[in-house]
Formats: sequence, structure tokens, C-alpha cells
Amino acid sequence: MAAINIQKLSKDFSGFKALTELSLDVREGEFLTLLGPSGCGKTTLLKIISGFIEPTKGHILLNGKDVTKVPPEARDTALCFQSYALFPHLSVRENLEFGLRQKKVPALDRKDRIADVAEKLGLGPQMDKLPNQLSGGQQQRVSLGRALVMRPSVILFDEPLSNLDAKLRDQVRLEIRRIQKDYKLTAIYVTHDQAEALAMSDRIVVLKSGQIEQVDTPERLYAAPRTGFVADFIGNANVFTGRVLPQKTPTIWRIETPIGILETGNNAGTEGAEITLCWRPENAEINDDGALGGTVTSKAFQGHFTDLMVETKGVPYRIQTSRTDVNEGDTIGFNVPGPSVILLENAQ
Amino acid sequence: MNRLRLNNILMALVIALAFIWLFIPFVMAVLWSLVDPSQPWTADKLLPPAMSFYRWVNMWQNSSLQPALLTSYTLAPSAAILSLLLAFPTSFALGRIAFPGREVAKTLCLLPLVVPPFITAVFFTALLYRLGLTAWRPGAIIFAHAVVFLPFSIRILTVSFETVRQDHIDAARDLGAGHWARFKAAYLPALRPGIYASLLIVFIQSIEEFAIAFIVGSPDVVTIPVLLYSALGQDYVRPNAAVLSLILVIPNVFLMLFLERLLKSANPTLASGKG
Amino acid sequence: MTARQWITVTLLLMPGLGLIVWLIGTVVYIAFAQSFGLYNINGESALTTAYWADLLGNNIYLRSVRYSTYIGVMSAIFSVVLAYPLAIWLRKPFTGSMTIGSILKAPLLVHGLVAAFLFVNVISYHGILNQFMQWIGIWDGPHRLQNDNNAIAVLILQTWKNMPFALLLLTGALQGISDDVLDAARDLGAGSWARFRKIIAPLTVSGMQAAIVIIFIGAVSDFAFQVIAGPINRQSLAQLMVGYKGRGDWNSAAVVGATMIIVALFGSAILAGLSKIVMRGRLK
Ligand SMILES: Nc1ncnc2c1ncn2[C@@H]1O[C@H](COP(=O)(O)OP(=O)(O)OP(=O)(O)O)[C@@H](O)[C@H]1O
Ligand SMILES: [Mg+2]
Repeated sequence: MAAINIQKLSKDFSGFKALTELSLDVREGEFLTLLGPSGCGKTTLLKIISGFIEPTKGHILLNGKDVTKVPPEARDTALCFQSYALFPHLSVRENLEFGLRQKKVPALDRKDRIADVAEKLGLGPQMDKLPNQLSGGQQQRVSLGRALVMRPSVILFDEPLSNLDAKLRDQVRLEIRRIQKDYKLTAIYVTHDQAEALAMSDRIVVLKSGQIEQVDTPERLYAAPRTGFVADFIGNANVFTGRVLPQKTPTIWRIETPIGILETGNNAGTEGAEITLCWRPENAEINDDGALGGTVTSKAFQGHFTDLMVETKGVPYRIQTSRTDVNEGDTIGFNVPGPSVILLENAQ
Repeated sequence: MNRLRLNNILMALVIALAFIWLFIPFVMAVLWSLVDPSQPWTADKLLPPAMSFYRWVNMWQNSSLQPALLTSYTLAPSAAILSLLLAFPTSFALGRIAFPGREVAKTLCLLPLVVPPFITAVFFTALLYRLGLTAWRPGAIIFAHAVVFLPFSIRILTVSFETVRQDHIDAARDLGAGHWARFKAAYLPALRPGIYASLLIVFIQSIEEFAIAFIVGSPDVVTIPVLLYSALGQDYVRPNAAVLSLILVIPNVFLMLFLERLLKSANPTLASGKG
Repeated sequence: MTARQWITVTLLLMPGLGLIVWLIGTVVYIAFAQSFGLYNINGESALTTAYWADLLGNNIYLRSVRYSTYIGVMSAIFSVVLAYPLAIWLRKPFTGSMTIGSILKAPLLVHGLVAAFLFVNVISYHGILNQFMQWIGIWDGPHRLQNDNNAIAVLILQTWKNMPFALLLLTGALQGISDDVLDAARDLGAGSWARFRKIIAPLTVSGMQAAIVIIFIGAVSDFAFQVIAGPINRQSLAQLMVGYKGRGDWNSAAVVGATMIIVALFGSAILAGLSKIVMRGRLK
């Protein structure tokens, strides 16, 4: 168990700023997820924490100790590589055993730990194969197992489930979380799958071109994104700019947007202010005498809901509904309930 | 930044060593080749007392250097072409047909590399005597060189054949190309660098080869290495040997530089893509 | 595969592989046959072990076998041992690494005979090395270095010529290891030595075996270096073989040739096996 303090970390790759003045505190035993578009610096951050990349500026503290200059082999971290990085000449068992041998864990203990991880990741029948005899998903699980078996105080995952089928992914996700809790590991987890991030994390960090957009618990991040980027990245959001109208009552603010007037109990500020706001597609309530309205331009059935693209005065947005009786070309009316209007920081 | 320091020290060290093991010997050779016979270069002098191109001119005019050059530079291209022609069908089979035992066949092709050259030379000569084919020595040398260096041609061409993309062949076929047109459109572009590389490698190897040329060719056929051998042995005159050594090295440097360029452009990982 | 396809493949393999197997096979066969008195060029052929018996009781022959094996093993080991650290150093490109690589590989362009000449030039009785040692006052007078009894000159020449070749093969093998794999090992706690022993060594062992075997075979059958710079009182196998052949004693030459093949094959098998054990740290 260890806390990680990242202080004003910057990384330049010959002029290209991969990370800029990034500060972040990870608590002991926390499960923190990094979320962000491809190329925003997630792998770079993990590699700096584990020691492979030397930061241009800034410091990394593990348990209060500055490890910025400590080599990777001397840091109590384990990284699960995005590229797997399995040792091609070693069998699955030997790959799993590698770090334990390095750490001089007694043989009996090694055997137990490996058997345990192999069972949890469903690698039992593969133990004596070489990496090139495994499927992509199996290789990925070996790479994951190789890091998990170490039970390091800090464990770093770089998209460890990207190659697994949906079912296996759910199952392995639970195992990761269980191992992490059981051994109280501090974990940083990189994923592209926002559903996965929401389901697993204690807190989520949203990164955008090498800088932190927002750090928060999944619930708060979803309910109260600070920027349009975060709102749209976590789940879907219809983002609009609007102007604050005279208040209706002291507790109800009215905002004029390109698709009509929205009412909310959230403090939108003084009359005339330009603001950015958003609402989630699933929060719209279709209702023939709704205050807002538009024309359905396309529809996609998703199983437990239907995705509608709607247009009002040429402005497109999205609505999700459980109703199945809406068709392309229909004109619909709907309401956006006051509490689901989210006010954002203006900077996009 | 400690690492950087270490690296610089290592680099300085290698360059210093290279100075001792490359530069000094070559400078010595150049100096010796320039010694004028009027005044010998004795141990007590740092530089030769009289320098001229006399040795170069003399070697060029009065030794067997000219015929040796002619022999070497006729044998080598012939061997290179013969080797290429012999390698072609085998490489096609190894590169494009999946047959059981292909890996074994590939390994067997390396056989000439593991039999010491002097054995090949001596007992190839025995075979020639046996078959009564001792009349035309240069032909025997060409043949022996072609076969002994076949592993290189086969290896290079096999890789080239492997990089020919099936969809190119299929596309050509789809567009109605006959055998020859298909070869020209789909195979040749992928093979061309391999063909050049194979010719060049066998050429260089053949120019350098000593054992076969020495044993099979003696005493009538004299190639440059054979000449150099005798210049270093029974007819040892240091300045003359220096001239010969330099003559043998210079073209190599150029050929190798050329080869390096060629191999880079023919790098299969760059050319193949996926598919 | 149908019969027709088999015929096609066989025909295609004929001019290349067929010729190799035929020629090299015949050469090896003749060597062995003649060593037992068969396949004689002139005179009667009769199966006899007399030539083997004769040479096996001959001190010159036995000394040659020992000597050539010594040269082969030492040259292979020196070349690889020198090339390994250099290859590791040059694995990842840095400013100037291309230049260093070219300088190190330059001897590949120099013919062995030329190398021998250059070297002899430097170490000769009045050569620059002797001059230098006297000048700095370590030696009182010139030393005779050229044909030293331990064949150090030959070994230096072999290493000079072969180290670049080993370097070439090893750099290729090393560059095949991805950075992530080495990083993963580091991450799991492996220091420099452990990374070498457990990752680099096993993953480059086949490249190293190739280098060792080829250098060994070349050095065992060395003729030119030996004649020019080797000890006078000892003969290499190739030298001995050429000597017998020159005297028209084909059968004895064949015995020496066959010996060379045996030494080359067994020697390389043993060296390859040993290097695998050493590099892998286990039998597997
Ligand atoms: N060694 C390097 N040299 C130069 N630029 C680099 C290097 N490594 C990464 N970068 C750049 O830094 C940025 C961040 O890379 P990084 O690998 O951290 O992205 P990522 O967030 O992990 O993306 P993905 O989700 O696609 O894996 C990218 O734009 C990348 O091009
Ligand atoms: Mg990444």
C-alpha cells in the first residue's frame, strides 16, 4: 500500500509536450482510472510512475519518498504493459514466476500465488505454453497475471482488458478489483472504455492533451462534469451555449439555448450572462405537450433503449428513450427536467 | 546525465582503439607502398626518406597484377551470374510453394558454409581429376564459386520471393496478364533489389575467395588473392605487398558501401507491408 | 500435395539445392573414401585403414589437430566475448552509434590476406610496435613477435577479422528484443545482470551459436593466417592437408581433410551446446 504524489510533472518529447505540469495525489489502496482520448499521455504517465521515462520536470513521491531518480527495478511498482511485453522464451508459468524469483519469494509461496492468479484469470490449461502459442486475449491475461502476482504496493494497468470478449472482460474486471482490494494495492488503471471506468473506479482522472480536465468519483463526474469535454467523454451529452434570461422565481433560472428555453433550479448566474450547459440524452422525457420540440432525423435501436438524433432549427442533438413507437420524420415534444441541466465552465 | 558521460567515454575509447587497429595499419601500408627504391626505409626514420609512386607504376607494369585483375574481374561476375541463375528456381520453390520439408531444404542450402573451404577446394580438384575435367580451370573455378556461394543467393532470393505479394499476382491475373506480364508486373519489382544484392554479394565473395582459386587454379590461373598470397610468401617484398593489399581493399570499400545502400532499400520489413 | 506438384518442386530444387547436395556431398564423400584408400586418382583402390593408422601414430598430425582446435575455439570465444558488450551497447541508437557501428564493422571489408599483411607490417621486427615499445622504454631491443609459439598473432588476426561478423549477427539478434520486454523485466525487479542472464542471453543464444559455429569452422580450417603469422614449428590442419596434396599424397591429405570435417562438426556441435547451456543456465 502506498500513496502516490505526482507534483507538477512535465514531459517533453523533443519539443512535443506529452504532459504539462500535471499534479495528482493518489490515496493508499485507491483504484484510480485514467481516461482520455488516444495520445493524451496515459501510457507516458504510467511509464514515468514506474520509472522507464524520466520526466522533464516535476517529482514523483511514493509513500512520501521522492523516487523520481530511482530506477524501475528498485521501485515497488508493477506495470501491465499495453503491448503485453511477455518474455517470448519463457512459458506462461515462467513468465508469471519471473518477478517473484527476482524478489526471492520462497518456492512454496511462489507456487501458491501463481496457482491462485492462474485460476482467477482462467490460465490453468495454458501454463506450459509459450507466449506465441497463445491467443491475443490469453497473452493479455498472462501479462495481467504477471503484474498481479507481484502484489506490489502500486500496480499500473495499461488497457489490460482491451483484447478480451465482453463476457471475459466483465469476469476479469471483477477479479482485478477483488485482488486489488484483498491486497490493498494502490492501482492506476488506463482504459478507453468509459463504462469500465465508471464501474471499477474509486476516482476517475480525465486527461486531455497532457493535462487533467477533472478528477472525481464516477458518480460526481457523471452528474457534475466541469467541462463539455468531460461531459461528452463520460457518457453522452448535448452541449449548448446559452444566455441567462430574467429569473422566473427566486429558485428557478431560465436559459435561452438554440433549441429553446430550459428551466433549472441550478444557479445559472446573473441575467444576460453567456453560459455553457449540457444535459444527458437519457434525461429527456418525450411528452407531446413538452416545452421543447424537434424532428427525428434518424433512429438506432440499442436493445434496452432507442437512440434518436433530433434536430431543432438545424441544430442536431441526441435523445435516448425507452419508447419504441417513435419513427424517423416524426415531430416530437419533450422536456428536460430542471435538475438534469448541468452548468459547465465556459471554457470548452 | 551520468549515462551520457559514460557513453561519450566509451565512444572516445572505441575511436581510439579503431585508430590503433584500423588507421595505423593502413597508414603504414600506404607509406610502405610509397617507398622509393633509391633509399630504403630503415627503422630509425619516422617517414620513408624518399617517396614516389614508383612501386605502384612498377607493379602495374611489370608484375602479374594486370592479368590477375583481369582474371578476378572476369571470374567474379561470371560466378555471380551463374549463382543467380542456379538459385532462381530453388528460391522460387522455397519462397512461394509450401511443401512439407521446406525448412529442412532451407537448412540444407547452408551446407557449403559449414564445410571448410580448403576441403571443398582440395577434393573438388580430386573430383575434377576423376572426371577428367581439368582442361578448363577458370570454368572449374567459376562453377565451384557459384555453388559454394549459392547459400547467399538462395537465401536472399528466397526472402525476395516471400515478399512478393499474392494480391499483386492475383490482381495482375485478374486483369488478364499472361505468365510473362504477371512476372514483370508482380514479381520483378519485389525481386529486383534481391537480384542486385545476390549478384553483388557473390561478386565480392568471389573476388576475395582464396582457397578454391589457389588449389583448383594452380598453377595457371592467378587471381588477386592468389597473387597477394605469393607476394606475402615466397616473393615477399614489403612495398610491393603494400601496393597489392591496397589494390585489393579499395574496390571492396566502394562495393560494400553500395551494397549497404542496396540492402537498406531492399529491407523486407519496409517493403512488405501487410497482406 | 499431388505427384505432379512434387515433381515440380523437385525439378525446381534441382539446380540449386540439388547441386549443393551433390557437390558438397561428393566432396565430403571423396574425402572420406580416399582416407580409406578408395577412390584413388592414380594407382589401385583398396579399402584400408593404413592411412588413418599411419597418421594417428604421427606426432605432427596429432599436434595439428590440437593446434587447429585450439585456434578455432579461442578465435570463436574471443570474437563473441568482445562482440557481446559492443552489441548491447549499440542496441539502441544514439548520436554517433551509426559511425561507431561502421568503424567496428570495417574489417569485414578487408580481405584476410590484406589484414595479415597489415598486421605483420605493424608487428614486424622493425615494425612500428617494436619501435614504439623501445621509444617509451619498455623494451631494450626489438622483439620477435611475428611467429610466436602460442599463435597469439594468429588469434589477434582471427579476432580482428571475425569480431565484426559476430557483432553483426548479435546486433541483429539484440535488436529483435523489444524495449517493452526489457522494461517489463526491469519493472519486475531485474537489474542489469539479471536482465542479461534471463532475457538477453536466452533470446540471443541462436544468433550467438551461429556466430560461434561459423567462426569456429573458419578458424579451424585456417590456412592463410597460419602460413603468414603462425608459429613455424606447428602446422594447422589445412596447412598439413595442402602439404600432403602438394606431394601427391592424396590419401593422407584425405585423412587430414576428413579429420577437419569431423573436428568442425563435433567442435561446432559441442560449442553450440555449451553456449546454450552457459547462456540459458540450464539444459532444455
Ligand atoms: N518516445 C516518444 N517520442 C516522441 N513522442 C512520444 C514518445 N512516446 C509517446 N509520444 C507521444 O506522446 C503522446 C502521448 O503518448 P502516450 O503513449 O502516452 O498516449 P496514450 O494516452 O497512451 O495513447 P493510447 O490510448 O493510444 O495508448 C503521443 O502523442 C505520442 O505520440
Ligand atoms: Mg497508451
